[in-house]
Amino acid sequence: MKSSTIWFSVAGLSVAIILPFFLSQYWLHVMIISLFYVMMASSWNLLAGYTGQVSFAHAAFAGVGAYTSGMLSVFLGVSPWLGILIGIISAALLGLGLGVLCIRMGGIYLSLTTLGFSEIIRIIITNEDNWTRGTMGLQTPGLFVEYSKTGYYFIFLAVAVAIGVVIYKLIHSEWGLTMRAVLNDEIAASASGINTINVRLLAFTFTSAIAGLAGGLYGHYLMLVTPDIPSLGQMFLVLAMAVIGGMGSFAGPIVGSFVLEILSEYIREWGEYHVLIFGLIALAMARFAPEGLMGLWINKRKGHGHTN
Amino acid sequence: MYLTNGIVIGIIYAISALGVTLIVGIMKVVNFAHGELYVFAGYFSYYMSVSLGLSPLVAMPLSVFLVFLIGLLMEKALIRPTYGDDMYSLIVTFILSIVLQNLALLIFGPYPNKPPNLIFGATNLFGLFYYGNQRLLSFFISLAILLFIFYLIKMTWFGKSIRAVSQDREMASRIGIDHYRINMLSFGLGAALAAAAGVILSPIFPVTPSGSAAISLTAFVVVVLGGMGSLKGCLVGGLILGIIENLGAAYISTMYRGIFGFILLILVLVFRPWGLYGQKT
Amino acid sequence: MKKFLSLFVFLMVLTIGSSCWAQGTVKIGVVGPRTGPAAATGQAFEEGIALAIDHINAAGGVLGKKLEIVFEDTGGVPEKAAAAFERLATKEKVPVVVGESHSSSALAEIELANRYKLPLIICEAWHDDITAKGYKWVFRAGPANSGVVDFYIAPFVKDMGFKKVAIVRENSDWGAGIAERTEFDLKKMNIPFTTLKIERDSKDFYTELTKLKAEKPDIILAYIYGTGLHFFIAQANEIGLSPRALVLDGAGPPSLWDSFWKNVGKAGDLELFMSSMHEKVHLTNTSRKFWDAYNKKYGKNPTDYKSRSIYNVILIAADAINRAKSTDAEKVVAALEKSNLEVTTGVVKFGLKSGSYEYHQWMPPMLVVQWQDKNQVVVYPKKAATGPLKKAK
Repeated sequence: MKSSTIWFSVAGLSVAIILPFFLSQYWLHVMIISLFYVMMASSWNLLAGYTGQVSFAHAAFAGVGAYTSGMLSVFLGVSPWLGILIGIISAALLGLGLGVLCIRMGGIYLSLTTLGFSEIIRIIITNEDNWTRGTMGLQTPGLFVEYSKTGYYFIFLAVAVAIGVVIYKLIHSEWGLTMRAVLNDEIAASASGINTINVRLLAFTFTSAIAGLAGGLYGHYLMLVTPDIPSLGQMFLVLAMAVIGGMGSFAGPIVGSFVLEILSEYIREWGEYHVLIFGLIALAMARFAPEGLMGLWINKRKGHGHTN
Repeated sequence: MYLTNGIVIGIIYAISALGVTLIVGIMKVVNFAHGELYVFAGYFSYYMSVSLGLSPLVAMPLSVFLVFLIGLLMEKALIRPTYGDDMYSLIVTFILSIVLQNLALLIFGPYPNKPPNLIFGATNLFGLFYYGNQRLLSFFISLAILLFIFYLIKMTWFGKSIRAVSQDREMASRIGIDHYRINMLSFGLGAALAAAAGVILSPIFPVTPSGSAAISLTAFVVVVLGGMGSLKGCLVGGLILGIIENLGAAYISTMYRGIFGFILLILVLVFRPWGLYGQKT
Repeated sequence: MKKFLSLFVFLMVLTIGSSCWAQGTVKIGVVGPRTGPAAATGQAFEEGIALAIDHINAAGGVLGKKLEIVFEDTGGVPEKAAAAFERLATKEKVPVVVGESHSSSALAEIELANRYKLPLIICEAWHDDITAKGYKWVFRAGPANSGVVDFYIAPFVKDMGFKKVAIVRENSDWGAGIAERTEFDLKKMNIPFTTLKIERDSKDFYTELTKLKAEKPDIILAYIYGTGLHFFIAQANEIGLSPRALVLDGAGPPSLWDSFWKNVGKAGDLELFMSSMHEKVHLTNTSRKFWDAYNKKYGKNPTDYKSRSIYNVILIAADAINRAKSTDAEKVVAALEKSNLEVTTGVVKFGLKSGSYEYHQWMPPMLVVQWQDKNQVVVYPKKAATGPLKKAK
């Protein structure tokens, strides 16, 4: 790790830790939601940006995590912490199954199948309203006995940082290099003896598990799990955050999550326009700056002759 | 009754999926914004016939043409730079679908609208049950369009160029076919087919901006089922899906009507991933 | 990483900036769908809100200050509704919230009302649990499913002599709740019925309708909210099920939307719907005042009765704050419990006995209206009727 990166991480983290003592309840809420998106966008980016698999089921896996944990705690009285763990496992298993089905068929099939899967999840959740309470949403217990925004904030922060560290390590490990090799040149990668299918399957399962974890936490924070979590609208937000922040870079999705979530608070008055605005920004980014905000930032610094 | 409705709906699915399969087959691009183009066409035809007072017979082709132009523009501005990068074309068309959906919401509002019927009433079929006349009419128009497209692709110069480009881009350009032009035209044609489905169906199933995702998804199921890029597959896939959905809804559960298609999709992926008529690669 | 730093600094500045608010007004929060499939309700709400602001400020405002309304969008989705309520509670810091037209959203909001101890007056979310949960902070000045079914729909079916009932309900909380109550009442009255559950966003009902036709019902209780109802009516007519079986729209507004006649065509004749408003039936002076003011401001008659419902609850909230002489939550709740205020639909008095949906609930009277040659005819209850029920020959 470069010394400047370490310095920035330490500084960022210390700001993050003292933040709750300065923010109002409302902005704390915004930060917690942003951290949820950090988990989602970073893991989706690991999948799409590093292994080239454009999955549309990421939000659906968050839904699996949220509903598994929610239903276990409501109907069986399981502790939310254990519930979240089981939620992660279910998301991972479903991810593995779905991956086995469609990864060998490649790009377009994966995208279409994950899109279909996400619809199946949504339809089942809406229709099995005896168990999921349908569109009404399932009211779930919180993580703490006494409701505390600061408490949730630190949990989300800790999990997001842990996920961030794991993803960072992965990207910079042998495994990460392998994944990038798969992305750039599949034929070369297979020739060098790398089993592309297994690498992709592993990445798909792992990121599904992270989505399950993020979804589980999110559900117990809102204390309400609704079919909005596994919706395509949610999927679009995650995708837009990664694209706008910069796919294929570690910091991109993190920056994207904060920027979009905070931006959305400021363009709230525009109501229905705000998804459209995000879409247009994302489209412009994908077309003119495929490396996102991070790419622009790095290029700008290079342009000025600074290097670190 | 259930079977008849299944066949009618099946043909309708087939024509809706035709645009997708054409674009996939030729350009290897999945157009996620397919459903939105369908919805736009439906609204165009509604506004032209209701607000401008045009006859539906004029409004329908005019809307299709308008969407054809939008398709050309989309290809030139957004799709062309992504050739060769499957991932980016997927992401771009997905974002595009969200943008268009919200644009539709903004321009047309959230309420479903239906252009006027061409024909009213119902006919007693085989002396067994009543069936809406507009549905029967749509069935025949769809069938005619399907035959026309088959003819276009199999028999004409345009069709031959398309097939040449889809098989070997370099070879095609060597014998004097401009593949940029062909790609642009076929994307436009794909968009126009989405629009055709939209104008034919909107008098029966009124269009809403939020309904576009379901339209795209059904089209994708049909395309995977039939085999990507296969016209025949598209027809057979549409029919199978239409019939299964209706029989399933009648005898298993109406609530899960939407899910039968996806179960079919997964079964196809397990046992015959290249689809019924697709090429095994 | 530097990005983070600047971002956080940026955030802090914003937070400090956002903590000061306008002086000299009293804010009341409104929740309702301004976007999404029920955005029509948001529009009706806005009309009602504008009229309520006019009337209250003309009469001296709230606590001597001008009334201001903060209208947060729920999109008709519980998750967004919870976020909207959160914003009203923690950012806008309003003393009372009113509104809502979706039971699912309302059920999410009442949990937050309870957590933030913020009084909430619901107007058009009908699920029993909203008040049946017995939260001290939650009131409802509007219909509850059980009330609508027990006092109007079930007696209507019985008194008009229908023999076989078909219940068609959408897969939403409202659909589930009202269908369950209807089944319960019909069983008690020994009227045979059959229930069909349908997908809320569905547009093709041929299969469902064919199944229904075999049952030969003479009345269909359609618990479908939105334009889905229009397609249902049009297709029921196409396959020859109605008007032999009359269709009763259990919610009401969809039968009054501008798009209704466009979507159903001739099939709309003889259709029945629930309503709490009719141009010829004025229950109070406030009702007439509202009608005239609406006409003057918008140059047309009100169609969606939800503009009136939101008007009512804003009146109730302002009245309670004025009587409490404070925006303190406890005092506002105490004042609400003593409400005795004439609104457009009657005189509001909240039920105080806890243990059922009638706690903190006031039910306005409703009407069953039938479209007869595009005229609205009140057919039930008999004492308010402007004409007889017409059945198909």
